[in-house]
Amino acid sequence: MKIEKLFQRTRFGIFAMFGAIVLSTSVLCVLTVSTELSAEYEINTSNIAKTVANSSVDILLNRDLATLQSLVDQFIEIQGIRYIYITSETGDYLAHTFVPGIPDEILASDHRSTEPVERDLPGLGIFLEVGSPILAGVAGHVHVGMDLDVVALKIQRAIGQQIYLVAVILVIGVLAAIWLVNLAAKPLGELLAYAVELARDGNPEALADRAVLARNDEAGHLARLFLYVARNGKEPGAMSPAPQPAD
Amino acid sequence: MVESGLAALLSAPWAASLRAAVSANVLPGSGSGADGAEAGDIVLGVSAAFSGPSRGLGTELYRGAAACFAHVNDFGGINGRRIALKMYDDGYQPDPCVENTMQLMLEDQVFLLFGYVGTPTVTRVLPILKKFQSENIYMFFPFTGAQPQRQPPYGEFAFNLRASYGQETAGLVDNFVRIGRRRIGVFYQMDAYGRSGWAGVRSALARHGERITGEATYGRGAKFTGSMRQQVEILKGAAPDAVICIGSYAACAAFARDAVDLGLEVPIANLSFVGSENLLNLLTEGREDSERYTRLLVNSQVVPSYEDLSIPAVREYRELMERYDPQVPEELVKEEYAALPQSFGSLEGFLNAKLLAEILRRLGGDVRRARLEQAVFSVSDFDLGVGERVSFGPDRRQGLQTVYYTMVEDGHFVPLEDWQAKFA
Repeated sequence: MKIEKLFQRTRFGIFAMFGAIVLSTSVLCVLTVSTELSAEYEINTSNIAKTVANSSVDILLNRDLATLQSLVDQFIEIQGIRYIYITSETGDYLAHTFVPGIPDEILASDHRSTEPVERDLPGLGIFLEVGSPILAGVAGHVHVGMDLDVVALKIQRAIGQQIYLVAVILVIGVLAAIWLVNLAAKPLGELLAYAVELARDGNPEALADRAVLARNDEAGHLARLFLYVARNGKEPGAMSPAPQPAD
Repeated sequence: MVESGLAALLSAPWAASLRAAVSANVLPGSGSGADGAEAGDIVLGVSAAFSGPSRGLGTELYRGAAACFAHVNDFGGINGRRIALKMYDDGYQPDPCVENTMQLMLEDQVFLLFGYVGTPTVTRVLPILKKFQSENIYMFFPFTGAQPQRQPPYGEFAFNLRASYGQETAGLVDNFVRIGRRRIGVFYQMDAYGRSGWAGVRSALARHGERITGEATYGRGAKFTGSMRQQVEILKGAAPDAVICIGSYAACAAFARDAVDLGLEVPIANLSFVGSENLLNLLTEGREDSERYTRLLVNSQVVPSYEDLSIPAVREYRELMERYDPQVPEELVKEEYAALPQSFGSLEGFLNAKLLAEILRRLGGDVRRARLEQAVFSVSDFDLGVGERVSFGPDRRQGLQTVYYTMVEDGHFVPLEDWQAKFA
């Protein structure tokens, strides 16, 4: 006989508890990963801009724009960096990585600005652009564009992996909880079945071979108590001391 | 990468000498030694484009040099030592070029670097030469007119023969401005080469009080089958009087094609690096109306016309090219390429090799890297056979200064004498 009603709430409680854990963990994970990775990419972009700016000083002073372009081309190979441009102190574009040309949005922007700015360049995507001055701005400025689609994709991947892990833990936890509940419910079911048979037949000796009577737990103890009561035909209040568990 | 010379390229009776020219003594221990002092072949290290859309440049440059070296070896080599080439393909890409150079310098221990192709490749190699400056490894006559190997901090590690991109672009700009075409647009490769040419145009225009009218770029490795319509539209919007292209032949041919198709009917100039014959072939092959696409082309060159038989070096070049007809070793051939009987590229390679052979001769029997610079500086008023005398010195690390201008006539590049009549 199955003990459904007694553990229905328990199962629901387990589901609810694990669900709440997964949900809260996922929300926290999304917020943390998104915030941390976004900040990290912004810092990296800024650092790259500073590195290019520092590396450009001598090259710019030597008026060697081919080497400057070569430098820029090396940094553009970093994953996520989609464009770099270097302007002179007067706003001339001395090196850049735009093909087929410098977008109008860039041409119209303030080349001296170093504040992080989100740029939507039609046909290219959405970018986080960070600037850095060269020689405090007297030699020009470097601007680096990080592809936010790439950043978003990386954040999604990181979050997806975390949620996947939590979901796997949820499934395993719920299955384990159900299995443990069922394990606890099984002797209770046997006890219930034995009690029903005992009440129905009224012949305790015919049911003396039931397995539940041999159990060394609370269910076995209760079964032996029921048997004792049935054999002695006493009301519970008039019972003599019950038999001890068969330890 | 392939260890090779001219080994696999010939079947003619003169094959033995040509094989000897470039493939011999490339085995470990038989090279020139760490400082070139050991006996044996003088091994020159080459990293160039033998694959990819710019393979024609590396191939032609090599063919011209190989013809000259074969001839030198046939006549006893350099003071009894033959010239051999250790060759690698970099596909005109910087990273493979850097790897090849490290291999050539550290493993192969070549005597010097020779016949490199391209600005983006060479500019990445120059810091390596500075790093190993105590080894006295020099780069001779790279196929690029960029500034980095002509000025500090890397100029002292390279010797150039050809005129610079600055000289080429200045000449083009000056001539256009002279005939009233002051609004100059630039179409350029998005890398160090393109930037070098762009800077030359910008600087030349500034001398005339002008600025670049409009600019459009393309990514290195673009093919002729690709579209350059976006670039044409950008430049068309700027309404230029002429466009100067700083690119490879495949991209520049695609641009010229799309420019004509979209009605941008202005002179389109290309620099010497473009590979004029390959550009022309792409624009004319299979077209009945090819004249439409070539009539406004003007290409600057850093060597004289190979059609001009009045020039002694040209006669010598044509004779040796016909005699040896060198081909790139099979191991390096990844894509089909039909070698040209003559070209500006192979003539430049020939002149590079001829001058290098002269410099090596001046080392005498004491062939050491440490003596190379001194040998180069001893070249003064040397007659290379092109009309212009060649001199080198501590402050003069470029042999030739002349820029030639050519236009297309009857399917060939011929000297452009009268800009006014052609483009005014």
